[in-house]
Amino acid sequence: MIGLIIGALVIASKGTNPFTAYKALIMGAFGSSYALSETLVTATPLIIISAGLIMVFNMKFWNIGAYGQYIMGAIFSSFFALNSAPTTSPFLLLTMMSIAGIIGGALWALIPALLKLVWEVNEVVTTLLLNYVALFVLKYFMYGPWRDPASHGFPLSKMFSPNAQLPIILNHTRIHFGIVFGIIIVLVIYVIIKKTRFGYENRVIGENNIAANYAGINIFKNTLIAMAVSGGIAGLAGMTQISGVIHMLQLEINPNYGYTAIIVAWLAALNPIAVLVIAILIGGIEAGGYHIQMIMHVPFGIVGVIESSILFALLGGEIFKTYRIDFRRRR
Amino acid sequence: MTDIVVALRKITKTFPGIKANDGVDFELRKGEIHTLLGENGAGKSTLMNIIDGIYQPDSGEIEINGKKVHIKSPSDAMKNGIGMIHQHFMLVDSLTVLENVLLGLTSAGFYVDKKKVAAKITAISDRYNLGIDPFTKIWQLSVGEQQRVEVIKTLFRGAQILILDEPTAVLAPQEVEETFKIYRQMVQEGKSIIFISHKLNEIMDISDRITVLRKGKAIGTVDKDKTSEKDLAKMMVGREILFRLERGPLNRGEKILQVENVKALNDKGLTALNGITFDIYGGEIFGLAGIAGNGQKILSDVIAGLRKSISGSVYIDGKDLTNANPKEIFEQGLSYVPPDRLKVGLVPNLSSSDNAVLRHYNREPISRNTFINYTEVENYTDHLIKNYDIKVPRKDAPVKFLSGGNMQKLLLAREISEKPKLLVVVHPTRGLDIGAMEFIRTVLLRERDNGVAILLISEDLDEIFMISDRIGVIHDGRILDIVDIEQAKVERIGLLMAGLDEKSTQ
Repeated sequence: MIGLIIGALVIASKGTNPFTAYKALIMGAFGSSYALSETLVTATPLIIISAGLIMVFNMKFWNIGAYGQYIMGAIFSSFFALNSAPTTSPFLLLTMMSIAGIIGGALWALIPALLKLVWEVNEVVTTLLLNYVALFVLKYFMYGPWRDPASHGFPLSKMFSPNAQLPIILNHTRIHFGIVFGIIIVLVIYVIIKKTRFGYENRVIGENNIAANYAGINIFKNTLIAMAVSGGIAGLAGMTQISGVIHMLQLEINPNYGYTAIIVAWLAALNPIAVLVIAILIGGIEAGGYHIQMIMHVPFGIVGVIESSILFALLGGEIFKTYRIDFRRRR
Repeated sequence: MTDIVVALRKITKTFPGIKANDGVDFELRKGEIHTLLGENGAGKSTLMNIIDGIYQPDSGEIEINGKKVHIKSPSDAMKNGIGMIHQHFMLVDSLTVLENVLLGLTSAGFYVDKKKVAAKITAISDRYNLGIDPFTKIWQLSVGEQQRVEVIKTLFRGAQILILDEPTAVLAPQEVEETFKIYRQMVQEGKSIIFISHKLNEIMDISDRITVLRKGKAIGTVDKDKTSEKDLAKMMVGREILFRLERGPLNRGEKILQVENVKALNDKGLTALNGITFDIYGGEIFGLAGIAGNGQKILSDVIAGLRKSISGSVYIDGKDLTNANPKEIFEQGLSYVPPDRLKVGLVPNLSSSDNAVLRHYNREPISRNTFINYTEVENYTDHLIKNYDIKVPRKDAPVKFLSGGNMQKLLLAREISEKPKLLVVVHPTRGLDIGAMEFIRTVLLRERDNGVAILLISEDLDEIFMISDRIGVIHDGRILDIVDIEQAKVERIGLLMAGLDEKSTQ
């Protein structure tokens, strides 16, 4: 709510009526079947990545690296997409690409996990920095070996053949099979963190390392597994995006979803089921943001302002929930 | 009377449930080292915090140089020329010595002439031979050097009266000698020092006069030349005959715990256990008495597998578990109530139920294969809450919101429900109210009658006498003696706790 007000102030400062802008934003997000489908397309990677992040946020391991894990997932899966015969069965090829995407993201995520476990390097720093490394790896392939000779120098790969594209599940939209992955992952993560031993152990690790050790929990193994799962899921999101939406590997594959997903995970209070709702709302703001940019000439950056204001409002509200301001003067 | 720089008159300070200082009189003369001696909880720290302005006394007066003063804060104390050096240093690791000295110095103003300050620091350092370079970063210094930085900090602010809270506890023996030299030189130059310690040999080495506190009261002040370590130890512990709780006859079972010549290091890499040997049989309570910091915590951690020993061995029920991991040891029948409830035993931010099953969340019926059955978790928690009369307003609220007594009950309930062969409890009643204390002691005695071997580590001598069957005394990483409760005399245990063994000193 406060986030929306701040957003309104910024819009107003650009001389546009914020109410019309918000109305347009809502129309752009949910106002038509096309808008709605675009919202769901945007929400898909958010759902997948957020669910994976909750896995490690649940143990207070701050993975800020979904951005890089997403890129690595996209690169790994592209290898199969670009190097398979167009006659390979789509099911086989897509399975290979999914597995490759998961492995790519997982390997990328294991680096900071190991650095933290062995040398106690802060994971926020390492995951964040590895994002930039991943971007450079992507640039290497795009300007190097995987550039399509027919692209006239643009950093684009060849178009994926149809057997390397995730099927569209609703005709005349761009909604692809990835959203099914998203829903399955959300449910699985929910069960893992709320119902299993593994989830319980991770909660203990996150809160109190010493007590975890005392209870005989294998901190090393659990952290590695959780981080591999988290990164693997982000990698899978990268795969679904290039296979389901973009249909090629290119420089602009929207890895920023990796950051937006952090906001989604927190707004959902780290509850995987709530992620479904929140991701669609945030997806709506993003999709609607493109819409108002086109019809009202409000810059797309306003979406970032609204999202981050909402997150700030949420974190601020959390403080008020935990502590009360005492207006009595101290004596 | 002009040479009395600090005088405390009838200082009383009450905390909820405890009288920390009860009409304490204390005088510090100019140019003397005056030691405050007493057991843990005797009220030494409270008294010093009052002089330093951290606490306000409920009643009583403070005079500095003959003038009545109200010290409202540590900076107030500084203005009166009093500087306190805490046991835990108040230094910022990543800053230099110079920056640390300047921190909180209100008189420094906006612009600081670093060269001038550095010169002054070097001057102080040279005068007392401290060997501190103002541009070194704190983290590069040893613990002993950091302490000297604290000394510089207080001297820089013009302190004439220094309060040293157990400065030697963190030092190696050779460092202690050097430090004492510095103190002697300081008093020669007219400064006065209040020294807090419970190491009798050091006290006899450095003090001019000694004031003994016991249970919040000043027992007496003596000149060093007119006393002995033995007299001091008596003054420190001397007390009425301790009563023992009702219990059944001793029914000794098998040998459960066997500790052989165990040596271990503390976090700073100094020897903390120096060849510990003892054993405990089923159905008895072995009370390990000792003053804080003599290796008790290290010993319990070694037994529970939370710390590695460097030599020696630990057997539980005949099985060699030296340096095994905590889980293996737990499965062999050890339950452990650690000294640090919220750090080791419980997970503060998780709910009471989550904490209740911390030990056996991976066993049926609470967990089947990989899944945890949270209905069973609730049932189990309810069962503990009922049987141990734990007051838990909401089972799903973080356990940190429980009172200390209820936390301890939950922890003890969880550990005992494991049907241990060996129960190690460290300071089980520290900080609890009388009711909870009694409850916990009764539970321990009941477990003893059920045949459990119990190692009770406590700084509370009353508690040890109340429920133990045998008493061992630990001092400086060694067990000095082990006696049956019938033969145990409080005076002798007290002397042993202070490190005086008549067999060796005479």
